[in-house]
Amino acid sequence: MTAEQTGEPMLRVVKGTKMYHGAQAISAVDFDISRGEIHGLVGENGAGKSTLCKALAGAISLTSGDIYVDGEKRVFATPAAALDAGIVMVYQETSLIPTMTVAQNIVLGREKYLTRLRGMYIAAQQLLQSMNFHVDPTAMVSTLGAAQKQMVEIARAVHHRARLIIFDEPTATLTPEEKLHFFDLIHRLKAEGVAIIFISHALEEALELTDRVTVLRDGQRVHTGPTKQLTREILIKHMVGRDLSQTYYADARKPQTHNTRKKKVLSVQNVIMGKMVRNMSFSVYAGEITGISGLIGSGRTEVAKVVSGVLKRNFIYGGMVYLNGKPIRYRIPRQAVADGIVYITEDRKLNGFFETMRIDENIYVGRLATPEGKAVLLSRREQTRIGMDWIKRINIRAINSRARIVELSGGNQQKVVVAKSLVQNPKVVFFDEPTRGVDVGAIQEIHDFIRSLAAQGIAVVVISSYLPEILSLSDRILVARQGRIVEEFSSSEATEEKIMYAAIH
Amino acid sequence: MAEAVVTTKGKESSAVEKRPAGFRLSNVGQETLVLGTTVVIFVLCAIFVTGFFTLPNIATLARSVSVLGILGVGMTVVVIGRGLDLAQVAILATCAAWSLKLIGMGFGLGTGLAMGLGLAILIGTMNGFAIAVIGIPALFTTLATGTFVYGIGRWLLLDGIITYVPDNQDFLIALGQGEIHGIPVPLVIFALVALVGHFILSRTTAGRFIYAFGDNAEAARLTGVSVRVLTIGQYTFSAAVAFLAGLVTAGSVASINTNVFSSSLIFDVLLIVVLGGVSLSGGRGSIASVLAGTALIGTLLNAMILLDIQGDVQNIVKSVVLLGAIALDRKLHPRDEETARQGDL
Repeated sequence: MTAEQTGEPMLRVVKGTKMYHGAQAISAVDFDISRGEIHGLVGENGAGKSTLCKALAGAISLTSGDIYVDGEKRVFATPAAALDAGIVMVYQETSLIPTMTVAQNIVLGREKYLTRLRGMYIAAQQLLQSMNFHVDPTAMVSTLGAAQKQMVEIARAVHHRARLIIFDEPTATLTPEEKLHFFDLIHRLKAEGVAIIFISHALEEALELTDRVTVLRDGQRVHTGPTKQLTREILIKHMVGRDLSQTYYADARKPQTHNTRKKKVLSVQNVIMGKMVRNMSFSVYAGEITGISGLIGSGRTEVAKVVSGVLKRNFIYGGMVYLNGKPIRYRIPRQAVADGIVYITEDRKLNGFFETMRIDENIYVGRLATPEGKAVLLSRREQTRIGMDWIKRINIRAINSRARIVELSGGNQQKVVVAKSLVQNPKVVFFDEPTRGVDVGAIQEIHDFIRSLAAQGIAVVVISSYLPEILSLSDRILVARQGRIVEEFSSSEATEEKIMYAAIH
Repeated sequence: MAEAVVTTKGKESSAVEKRPAGFRLSNVGQETLVLGTTVVIFVLCAIFVTGFFTLPNIATLARSVSVLGILGVGMTVVVIGRGLDLAQVAILATCAAWSLKLIGMGFGLGTGLAMGLGLAILIGTMNGFAIAVIGIPALFTTLATGTFVYGIGRWLLLDGIITYVPDNQDFLIALGQGEIHGIPVPLVIFALVALVGHFILSRTTAGRFIYAFGDNAEAARLTGVSVRVLTIGQYTFSAAVAFLAGLVTAGSVASINTNVFSSSLIFDVLLIVVLGGVSLSGGRGSIASVLAGTALIGTLLNAMILLDIQGDVQNIVKSVVLLGAIALDRKLHPRDEETARQGDL
């Protein structure tokens, strides 16, 4: 390869600029990556990571600036053009076709004119096995879990003989065990000379996995350098452009304030729901943060949904749920909301906020849905008051309360979703992945806010896959596995290793 | 640099916290565009089409679009809530005709109307129940109930294809042909229905919930909105409005022809709703949208009739306008792959 001889990187971006409506998403960003390099791309939400990668993958085109592949200038007008150059982007939101089988998805776009299903399945099986992915090639994609879908996406990229694979938040949906497999695979791809761009909010992963890291901030490149010279603190400093006096989770573990056991608010006993929740029992106390950890599919989200009326537990032998000693069984979330139990979703885009509405309208809908807030006619004054109040209380950053929610960053959107539930004056709050896809600064603020809720005497349950989050927030940590709570730790005795051991063993 | 304006598309993009001010087409509501177009066409017609800008013609225009507009208001409430009511025309024909027949048989005016309205509300509630509780998609539910209601009407309730307004029912005739201070009564009824629809959508909690449900049904449910009651209410409202439209239709020609069910009226209703900018994917639009859509279609149709353009060509013009409106909708509210849900229309 001539490119290697001349020392020319496999891919180079020179002064890449992309404008949207007169505002710069990325401005004059220089970027390069060599064969067999794992290059981390970090930055807060809105820093321009996705924009840069989408330009590389041909999903958008640059306003100005050039892209060189092997020293040759290229223009990617369409994703197909980028694909031809061997650049594949594995999106966070999967781009698979749900009604096709795994094998059909893998070869999609590369089929021969005549395809024999059997041959295709055998080839797919070999490919998947070579990557140590346990996915049935004949399975319909719609029946797969998030992690398995990701595996299929990766397999597809490999099948397309990608020379550069861009991963956008690949580990967000993976369980820790799957993460290890994934890292393993990345290293094997690297050994084969594939270049890899790794976008992640999880800085530990970026530090562990990558050879070099590029930090973007406000659309500009602020740092590129070997990972060896970096630490988490330096990275965060580059990302936010300021020193965070405390990192967003480090040792924020507060002193044990509750010497006496607090009041038991919620008691879940032997709850069973289909195959997901096999036999869940736990209690939640007022003024305490209960963390629930566990792999995806361990039933932790489902049990929260059962308690808050989103899902129904088995009608016979479904177990019992007590709220302040009284047995409860909800058909719909409205009843749970009326009793002061709210569930804050893990996927704000899917079922969190109302995209056509403004901040204050979103929050006001939450208020209107409660028995106390019920009204026949809308009150503009009440809406503005509630909007202003919560924007201040939870520090939502927007021009004003009339800003539309789609104009906000992920962190601020999450805060609106939280406010929409908390305006309902709950006594029990379930946070499911409260900081997924949220930037570093906002994570800190949301954590502080969750702590302040507990301090006000609200019973808080935090469900999270992110162990540092569980460790720093929780007063008590429960570990779920295969539909059961298998272990309970106090915050002082819990460590990442212990939790992980309980979760996968 | 902390204050920098960052605009990115896609996942992170939502980070536009400050936007440069300025005129952009996507900031202009579709109803404004449609209304502007209407004004242009109206002025052009007034200048070039003889007999267009005369009081009798304007009154005819208003009369002819009123029924369409009334149905459009009902449809808008349903469509904003991410539904569709194809049973409207069947309800219009069957319930109104049944009312006329009962009055003709000697039931009082009030009783007859109440029975017709009751039937309409019953059908609407059944629609809502099937959609909200059983979970059948609105398209199929209302398509089926529409045919069902029409069939029941023809088989059991009514005698022939045409049901006439009984003699000496001046009130019913006035609904279609009367004037109040020179303003045609159908137009007044349209205005009142539009006002009620606007009030419900913009001033009441139910209206806000309809928008919320249309925007994101599952989020509305999680927030604690009683979504089933809400959905049933929407279809009931739509059915009641359809009954009223039926009375106006009956009044204006002194009879009702149940074969109207087989006409393309329901698609004209959808045309004005979509044209005005009520998005079929729910959560967007308002009564103003319907008014704009009604005005445009009414003007176009009237002008084409005056110009003696044949019916087939009129249909072609209508369909082109509809396609244009939907294309514009997609342009102004692009389908966002990240928030798009399966089953989006």
